[in-house]
Amino acid sequence: MSAPQGQFSGPQPSATAIFYRNIRWLRFVDRFGRRGQAAMEYLGGMAEMAGQTLHACFTRPFYSAELLSQLDEIGVKSVSITGITAFSTGMVLALQTAYALAAFGGKMFVGRVVALSLLRELGPVLTALMVGGRVGSGITAEIGSMVVTEQVDALRSMAVSPIRRLVAPRVIATVIMLPVLTALADLLGILGGLLIAVVELNMTAQDYLGSIWNQLAISDIMSGLSKTVFFGFEIAVIGCWNGLKVEGGASAVGIATTRTVVLASICVLISDFFLTKLFLAL
Amino acid sequence: MSANPGAASSTQPAGAGPGPAPNPETIVEFKNVWKRFSGKEILAGVNLQIRKGEILCVLGPSGTGKSVTLRHINGLTRPDEGDVIVFGENVTNKSEEEMAPIRRRLAMLFQGGALFDSMNVELNVGFPLREHTTKTPREIAETVAEKLSMVGLPGTQRKMPSELSGGMRKRVALARSIALEPEIILYDEPTTGLDPLTSEKIGHLIVDINQRIHTTSIVVTHDIVMARTVSDRLAFLHQGRFQFIGTFSEASRGGHPVLMEYFRSMGFPCGTGLVQVVKDL
Repeated sequence: MSAPQGQFSGPQPSATAIFYRNIRWLRFVDRFGRRGQAAMEYLGGMAEMAGQTLHACFTRPFYSAELLSQLDEIGVKSVSITGITAFSTGMVLALQTAYALAAFGGKMFVGRVVALSLLRELGPVLTALMVGGRVGSGITAEIGSMVVTEQVDALRSMAVSPIRRLVAPRVIATVIMLPVLTALADLLGILGGLLIAVVELNMTAQDYLGSIWNQLAISDIMSGLSKTVFFGFEIAVIGCWNGLKVEGGASAVGIATTRTVVLASICVLISDFFLTKLFLAL
Repeated sequence: MSANPGAASSTQPAGAGPGPAPNPETIVEFKNVWKRFSGKEILAGVNLQIRKGEILCVLGPSGTGKSVTLRHINGLTRPDEGDVIVFGENVTNKSEEEMAPIRRRLAMLFQGGALFDSMNVELNVGFPLREHTTKTPREIAETVAEKLSMVGLPGTQRKMPSELSGGMRKRVALARSIALEPEIILYDEPTTGLDPLTSEKIGHLIVDINQRIHTTSIVVTHDIVMARTVSDRLAFLHQGRFQFIGTFSEASRGGHPVLMEYFRSMGFPCGTGLVQVVKDL
């Protein structure tokens, strides 16, 4: 004999319990909404600053001395870190490719695989990640400490735009130097592969370089370098925005610096996918 | 010592409305200004008129919005409600670009000096000149040397900010503030963290600069001794409003009970004996 319906469902929750359960949900929705709103405000503010920066890049006054200083700081001083990364990546890539292709007798394609991987993907992305870590965090720390010590307010109070004086030179310098660093990294990565090909794989330099030269298209180089213009813009804008948004003291600068590294890395990796799709479609 | 005794005026009722048309000599005016941070009211209907040429000291307990009030004048902070009028122009809703011409006529001395770390003293003091004038590097160097002499720091052009003491930093920052000979100088706690002798020097500099370049000075401070020394008028900010505006002697005669309480909290006995006590200090 079946029991009447509802007999096994236990006691009905009281009106108070229902009220508190709903309150919990409401709190969850409220917290979710607040976080969403904060994220939208953060992204909106960054987009607005990016727009102002683009405007400042093409209108007077220009701060050429500051730009030169940033070209040195962002570009020249990043050569070693990006060069070492690319050279070791090229060596590892050559070893791994040779190991994988040996079973098919495709060792002669090592140069081509190394070059294509570096030129189209690894060179731009690894260079952007390294620059994002070194330069992005440096920009945030510098501008953030200027905010904390009221130097940015001092600029504003003297009728000098922080966007023009601080942000625009850093964005322009990163956009110019990242493709240059990437080109250098591509070259060093290929040379790293060459070293392994000659020393470890018993190939001749002529075979290695010939396989690259014969198959390489200009689009392979350009698609990789073009992406770094966007990566550079992303890294510098994120770095500057997080620096300008610092509130509080030294700990806030540290938090903002970490946020820049994380966000710049994620943005580079995600935008790489869409940019790759775009350049393949062109 | 009063820089401009003629500028002293009578007490303005706290929280009064916008009132009659501004005095022709009024250079800065706050009309019913409200400001909240994270839902907390900092300014709750501030009304204030600042006269051309005077030195006004803004006193008040920590966290009452003295610096916030100061930052409204040059637009670094904007009010939630009300109007701030500077040089006859309402700056409440002006954009950063629209504020630029007004900011060129103003200068601000920040609490920590806010010198640019990457520049030496000469570049710091010459910064506004390079930005806003067509002077040659030689002319700029001459002006920088003159301003540094005015603040008692000749020959420090090559020093970096990190090589300067707190008092020297503030004096260099003051030299930078007066480089363009502004019409209004805003001082944000100019003597905080300094020893009494250096504080006294800064006080004398404020009066000296006020007289030499005919500027209007608004000084946010906790330093009652300096306020007595330099001010033409005091404005006491408490609970989001100016509870007292008047001369130091009016204040010392028992200007407002909350102000008396503030004096007592700062270590000064209140009442009729206050003036003598402060003089004795």
